[in-house]
Amino acid sequence: MIMVVFSAISVSIMLILGVVMYFRFSATSQQEMIQATQKLMEQTGENMEDYLMNMRQVSDAAYYNVIKENDFSEHGNDIQQGLSLLYEANRERLRTIALYNKYGSLIGAEPIATQKEDPNVTRQGWYQQAMSEMENMHFSTPHIQNLFEDDTFRYYWVISLSRVVELTDKGISQLGVLLVDMDYAGISRMMTKINAQNNGQYYYLCDSNGEIIYHTQQIQISDGIMSENSEKAASYRDGVYDEVFEGERRKVIVNTISYTGWRLVGVIPNSAFTHGMFNIRYFIVLLILLMAMMLGAVSQIVSARISRPLLKLNESVLEYEAGEKPEIYVGGPMEIRYLGDSIQRSYEQIDSLMRKIVMEQTERRKSELDALQSQINPHFLYNALDSIIWMVEGERNDEAVFMISQLAKLFRISLAKGRTVITVEEELQHARSYMNIQKIRYKDCFSFIMDVDPEIYSLSTVKLILQPILENAINYGLHGADDCGEIKLTGRRVEGGALLAVSDNGIGMSEEEVRCLLTDDNRIHKHGSGVGLVNVNNRIRIFFGDEYGLKIESEPDEGTTVFVCIPAIPYTEESRKVLEAGHTFGRQERKTDGEI
Amino acid sequence: MKNSKKVFVLIEVVMGVMVILVAAAMLREKNGEERGKVSVIIHNSEDSQWVSFKYGLRMAAQDHQTEVFVVSTDGILSEEEEKEAIDREIQNGADAVIVQPVPGADMKKMLKNVPQKVSVILVESQATEGEGTLDLPTVKPDNFAIGKALGEELVKDYNGNLKGKTLGIISENRAFEAVEDREEGFRSVADAMGARTVWDLSDLERGEGAEHAIERQEKVDFVIALDNYSVISAGKAAAKNNLHGALVYGIGNSTEAIYYLDTGRARSLVVPDEFNVGYQSFTEAAESLGSIFKKPENRTVSFTVLWRDNLFSRENQEFLFTMSQ
Repeated sequence: MIMVVFSAISVSIMLILGVVMYFRFSATSQQEMIQATQKLMEQTGENMEDYLMNMRQVSDAAYYNVIKENDFSEHGNDIQQGLSLLYEANRERLRTIALYNKYGSLIGAEPIATQKEDPNVTRQGWYQQAMSEMENMHFSTPHIQNLFEDDTFRYYWVISLSRVVELTDKGISQLGVLLVDMDYAGISRMMTKINAQNNGQYYYLCDSNGEIIYHTQQIQISDGIMSENSEKAASYRDGVYDEVFEGERRKVIVNTISYTGWRLVGVIPNSAFTHGMFNIRYFIVLLILLMAMMLGAVSQIVSARISRPLLKLNESVLEYEAGEKPEIYVGGPMEIRYLGDSIQRSYEQIDSLMRKIVMEQTERRKSELDALQSQINPHFLYNALDSIIWMVEGERNDEAVFMISQLAKLFRISLAKGRTVITVEEELQHARSYMNIQKIRYKDCFSFIMDVDPEIYSLSTVKLILQPILENAINYGLHGADDCGEIKLTGRRVEGGALLAVSDNGIGMSEEEVRCLLTDDNRIHKHGSGVGLVNVNNRIRIFFGDEYGLKIESEPDEGTTVFVCIPAIPYTEESRKVLEAGHTFGRQERKTDGEI
Repeated sequence: MKNSKKVFVLIEVVMGVMVILVAAAMLREKNGEERGKVSVIIHNSEDSQWVSFKYGLRMAAQDHQTEVFVVSTDGILSEEEEKEAIDREIQNGADAVIVQPVPGADMKKMLKNVPQKVSVILVESQATEGEGTLDLPTVKPDNFAIGKALGEELVKDYNGNLKGKTLGIISENRAFEAVEDREEGFRSVADAMGARTVWDLSDLERGEGAEHAIERQEKVDFVIALDNYSVISAGKAAAKNNLHGALVYGIGNSTEAIYYLDTGRARSLVVPDEFNVGYQSFTEAAESLGSIFKKPENRTVSFTVLWRDNLFSRENQEFLFTMSQ
């Protein structure tokens, strides 16, 4: 999560930075492109002006140095020679120098060529222009020279510079027109040179009316395949303009050429700005991607440094909670180390408290057991002594001796050298002694039969579990019965354990009373020691587990049978210690013990 | 944790791929985009009649930023020669071919090796297959209309009455569909007006032979030149006054043909707009390169009738401009 947020923020910043950079760069680049175009156009404009100036100088030289200085009738050859010299000096740029009189007749020309049959000079644009504004020089738009024959079948594209001149023939002054035809190729070359880019940007030349002089798509425009906004451009002053032409936004830069009023127009479509920008775009995208990759990696490392200790801590806590109890992770930055330490200490404290609680519980249970056992002894002792007193008073000394000897056996087993777990045989002996004492006390008003399989003698049992049951059988089962009662103690091996049963043929109990016997240990006992079967049941379950204990079956007027279910754990010193240590409450451990 | 690592690796891989793509695009741009190439195969490619056509090709190539290559040919190609030239140009990487078909050639057979992606555009004549025509995009002038316009010029000069007037018709090679159509168009007017064709001269030789062949013909009132070379040959003969006073009416598109009109050796000249044949055929070819949806289409270009008087009008000067390039 940290990494995602960190990466997202970083990439967002990079993107914003990239976009801002791109737009800034794009704006600067556009500005530079416009400035470069303006410079180029100024340069080209200057070259063109030089070119035109040169033509004007040729025209001036032809007029003032050659034509005006000489009379045609006298110095015809000088005039021709002067024109020839001028032509030769500028032949790369010139096509023709020609002089016409006011009727349109050819007076002189260089280079010498055959004039066409009827060139109709007076109807040609350059002638009419010169005559209409006599004080000026006039530059025509490009046109085919239609004056002289050319045996090479070529037609030359020229720009005509025409002016009215004063001719002197036989001392008489008359008007004429001097024509200097410049080779259009000179202008065309200049324009072709600056139109070399193929990014969509282009330059064209038009006159002050918007008529195109040079355009890279001149024929396409005149054929209507393409179009150009030249009329609008011709109306602009020098400068940079934004315009939309045929749905395309573009910048138009206008530069006026001196002497002619021609407009040199530079057109930069918006697409031209982006043409060179593709690489910049790619570069910025590349930069952003690389930065994003790097930031991703860095954020991964940083977030790993931050989150790894937390994750490890979390894992160790989870494992702890799952009960595996590993060491709590302590590492990473100081705060996380502190947190780990705290958790570790907390768990240690919890462990210590838990151990304490368990120990206390065990102690408490042991105390309860001791208390239970100590509850038996005083009751019984009281009853037995009461019987002995009664016997001694009745001078039945033999019976008293028997009684005392039984009581001694009973106490010996009860004490059992402080053991809580004894053999079944000892428990049976204890039961027998008890019943013998009780029989004397109750003057043999009931019979007691013991039928126990010797196979279970050697098994372990909690001591003094049969005595309360027998006591209950005497007190509840036989008390109030009309006939002589019978109490029978049986014992046999069953699957997984041993089953002892104490049955009487007394008055029995209702189902409700049976349920109360094992659930309510606080009820008031009408007879007997007051040690309820509940206590016996609890003791067996504490030592052997919940699946063992007592089970009571009773039918009113039929009798009651109490079953004692104990596990088949052979009695050894070791198993006794294990059981007494209280580690046998769970079934698993008991099975293990059983296997011992 | 594992998922977030997977996502991280995935994002890094995706960005890595993007870096490679962008770098490739940058390099590609640096090296310049590949321009398509269009090859042009025309008969007698250095002849003056093709100057406007080639200028049109050049202009279109510049407008579409596509390379143009005109195969140098001498004379009229045979069917095999043209087939070889087409196959060779495609082998050399031509993306489209502009072809002037060999008269009567089976174009289907000729173009059997041409891959589907290579556009073929015909100029001047339609494709033929046996006796019929083949549906291939063609850019050409309406030659019947050109011939008809020439006839109408003649009729106009004689107020619609050509009865008793005699004609001699010349062409460089009548097998060309263009020449056939022009003659048909011319005759549709001239014959109706009562003009009588005395002789019909075809298969003119290159060089002085053509001139002599014309000179040897019987005296007629008008010599009708149906193609550029015929106009030049007739003009030369007229310049030497060897046409027995016949007036030349012709169809041509070179500065030489214009010269004979300009100098009065020819009476009238119908000029097909060869610039546009070149420009439009190339445009059709170039546009078909960039798009799978754009198929080249048939185009018919215009023509102009020139006389000596209107030869240097502003509009007509542009014809001369294209012929002078």
